[in-house]
Amino acid sequence: MTQTVQLFVTCLIDTLQPQIGEAVVRVLERAGVHVAFPQEQTCCGQPAFNAGMRDDARKMARHTIKIFEKAPDPIIIPSGSCAAMIRHGYSELFTDDPKWLARAQAMAERTFEFTEFLVDELGITDLGAQFSGSITYHPSCHLLRGVGVDRQPRALLTNIRDAEFHELPNTEECCGFGGVFSVEHPEISAEMLYRKINNIENSGADTVVTCDTGCLMHINGGLHRQGKNLSVKHIAEILDQAQR
Amino acid sequence: MNPFHAQIKKSLANPVLQAALDANAEKRVQARQTAYASLPEPLEIMRQRAHAVRSETIQNLDQYLEQFIAKSEENGIIVHRAADATQARQIVLDIAQNLTQRRGERRDKIKRYHAIPREPASLLIAKSKTMVSEEIKLNAALEAAGIQAVETDLGEYIVQLRGEPPSHIITPAVHLRRQEVGETFHEKLGIPKTEDIPTLTDAARAALRQTFLDADIGLSGVNFGVAETGSLCIVTNEGNGRMVTTIPPVHIALMGMERLVPALDDLALMLALLPSSATGQKITVYTQLIHGPRGEDEVDGPQERHLIILDNGRSTLRRTPLNDALMCIRCGACLNACPIFRELGGHAYVGDSGQGTPYPGPIGSVVSPGLFGQVEFGHLAQASTLCGACKDACPVDIDLPEMLLRVRAGEAGSGAEGVQSKRGAGSEAGIGLPFSVRFGLGLFTWASTSMWRFRLAQKLAAVFSGILSPRAAYIHLPAFTGWGYSKGFPRPARHPFRERLKHQRRDAESAERIIRKNRTASTTPQQQKPISNIQYPISRFETELTALGGTFTRCTPETLAAEILTLLNARGFAEIMAWEQDHLPEGLLDSLREQGIRIEHTPHPKLQAGITGALAAVAETGTLAQTSGAGHPQSTSLLPNIHIAILRENTIYANLPQVLNLREVREAPSVALISGPSRTADIEMTLTIGVHGPGEVHVFCI
Repeated sequence: MTQTVQLFVTCLIDTLQPQIGEAVVRVLERAGVHVAFPQEQTCCGQPAFNAGMRDDARKMARHTIKIFEKAPDPIIIPSGSCAAMIRHGYSELFTDDPKWLARAQAMAERTFEFTEFLVDELGITDLGAQFSGSITYHPSCHLLRGVGVDRQPRALLTNIRDAEFHELPNTEECCGFGGVFSVEHPEISAEMLYRKINNIENSGADTVVTCDTGCLMHINGGLHRQGKNLSVKHIAEILDQAQR
Repeated sequence: MNPFHAQIKKSLANPVLQAALDANAEKRVQARQTAYASLPEPLEIMRQRAHAVRSETIQNLDQYLEQFIAKSEENGIIVHRAADATQARQIVLDIAQNLTQRRGERRDKIKRYHAIPREPASLLIAKSKTMVSEEIKLNAALEAAGIQAVETDLGEYIVQLRGEPPSHIITPAVHLRRQEVGETFHEKLGIPKTEDIPTLTDAARAALRQTFLDADIGLSGVNFGVAETGSLCIVTNEGNGRMVTTIPPVHIALMGMERLVPALDDLALMLALLPSSATGQKITVYTQLIHGPRGEDEVDGPQERHLIILDNGRSTLRRTPLNDALMCIRCGACLNACPIFRELGGHAYVGDSGQGTPYPGPIGSVVSPGLFGQVEFGHLAQASTLCGACKDACPVDIDLPEMLLRVRAGEAGSGAEGVQSKRGAGSEAGIGLPFSVRFGLGLFTWASTSMWRFRLAQKLAAVFSGILSPRAAYIHLPAFTGWGYSKGFPRPARHPFRERLKHQRRDAESAERIIRKNRTASTTPQQQKPISNIQYPISRFETELTALGGTFTRCTPETLAAEILTLLNARGFAEIMAWEQDHLPEGLLDSLREQGIRIEHTPHPKLQAGITGALAAVAETGTLAQTSGAGHPQSTSLLPNIHIAILRENTIYANLPQVLNLREVREAPSVALISGPSRTADIEMTLTIGVHGPGEVHVFCI
């Protein structure tokens, strides 16, 4: 029997980087799962939650919980940050609301970040992917420290054919995105971005792989502004490469 | 531009500060990792235990405070409670005034070498590091009352000379490099301009030595109070903490009411985590356990010990969802790990009105609004990417990102000052963000709670961005938008994912599935530290002491005097101080006297070597334990440049808890745990040996 998963594609991928969403679907389907996409999904509510606007965040969380309650399948999110929001943020939002807390926790229990699902749930570390070039890996903060996922994407990257892997210096340093932070404190955000770009250049790789679209568009935005011939790709785009 | 934003710009434009902060981040984080590797147990186990201890303490704080105060008073400490900063300052001023009246005419003092000239009749307070003193702005109050207060921690001394507040809770002069310190010392102390760190440290040592000897009051902080014993625990590396709690006739300790641990075993745990997290040391050089004033027949130690326990918003904070922040042991690890602190430095963390806070960095962005009100300091919590490096670094595992989020949500309340929010109830959400951002996010919420509105918003975004940037994939937004300051913005897709999905579905069906399923072991077990080879306590002690820069000589009771004599002769010392014969191996002092060595029992700053015994030693950390008492004063191991300690092999214990639980340790007015020679790294994190305490420690083991 084919397993069905519900894809929560995230508002950033949906609106800004749809090609990542397409890659996610292809990789998941080729891994043997059927991907359902609830059309009513929007945003998990993290921007408002991180800004401290909890009433707004609760509205969005309730909207999201309701939509994904319609089917009992695992929920796959190609973002460490949004996965962390659902795993931890939702419980924090509904601490004083037992009814919604239970619903939030039930959702959290079947929510998986994309690489976590592939490696830990499906037991796949080799997707037969092939990539000619040198890659490095930027562990996004919420994936690494918020959800505790690091060996899973690394395991997937290890098995990519022809790719030359370089470790990113000071790998665990934040890229300076931080959502509203990048707009509210642009000067500090810029300094952190420059340091990340320096580290990327020092790694010797020409493609940076990450699991979060926030970091991706932040670093890519900086690389583009500086006219650098490097790029950041979502891990799904890399895993998808060989299979074409 | 608000004051915080102005400070941010100032910090980023200061190359000296940036270089200093980069060096700090790199060195401190590395040192912490190295120190964690040598902890007696795996870090995570110790961290969770420490979390549990501190969490339970904060939950039952009233009960522990009551027990602690009762015990301290029983031990002879005069305990004062201060509800706020004003009361705390007044208590210090009252103690000072009382002292002036009692003393009447002050005896003439020997010629002073002070950086800050003072009226001969005024009181002198020698201070060791205390963040509570910064919090209550004590120095300004003392100055206004005509009392001279001199900071004796090297970093604090540097910033005091410069008229600055500290920029870090552990390393106050972290914002400076050796060049600035050299300039300051040249200007204020009149020494020739130098960038040599040992020379600068020596200059401070020389300037401050007389302060310790002259001071009427020694004022210190408290790192931990132990509820079961009433002990005050104070740690310093330089030895200034021992000086101010041993030499002046009156000692005042300032303590935040949350700084308690239930028992001595808990203290041992904290004493392992605090220095490893703060400075990357296995143990701080000097750990003082203070129980009471000078005992009968003792020649040193203050006659009076006061303890001021400060609330100043802590009780209020404890009732907010930020209460976990009270678990903090003030190690500064979160500051060193924070990528924002690394850009800003401590001075940039200012309130809405421009006033600074003594507590910068991640923990500061929680406790500053928590203690002093969110109206003034709430916006600091927005200066974080919530990256979580602070939580990872915290030795008591405070969930700092969670705390920062709660501050942003307006849960910090009004703090000690009881300032009512200007914004009114209900609109404190998104504290510190401008109206435009909050309005935008509100609009986004409205759009995101309906599929139709969301899809319409996506369409509008695609149309507008298509007009703004018809060709390029990135839009060049202007700098004022924030994003446009340093990066391009990806153009929203003409067809969002939800539309494209339908097309993809058709293609996918014909695709071949290439899958190699490799069931992987889903967990890689945490790397366990190999259990170090079993060593006899004596050889472990030797290894650890030597690593700290001390020397270790094994001898027999018969060869002891000759060994010590060789050392004294090599240095040309004919006159030394020593504990009384009753507290040293039999016949030792007579043997030395026979060889022409003159021996004083009352400590004197002129004498360059001091011979002491030791109650016990800790093998694991290379630590000597000494209790104060008649015939065995603390100053003998503190004032001279060279400390000679005689240790009996059968008093070397494996670990710290064993020594802390010795009856003599619990009962002595004051206990010093000494781990190698005195040291500092306050200038550019460069290790310098020999500050206020001895620069050499020689242990002779019989």
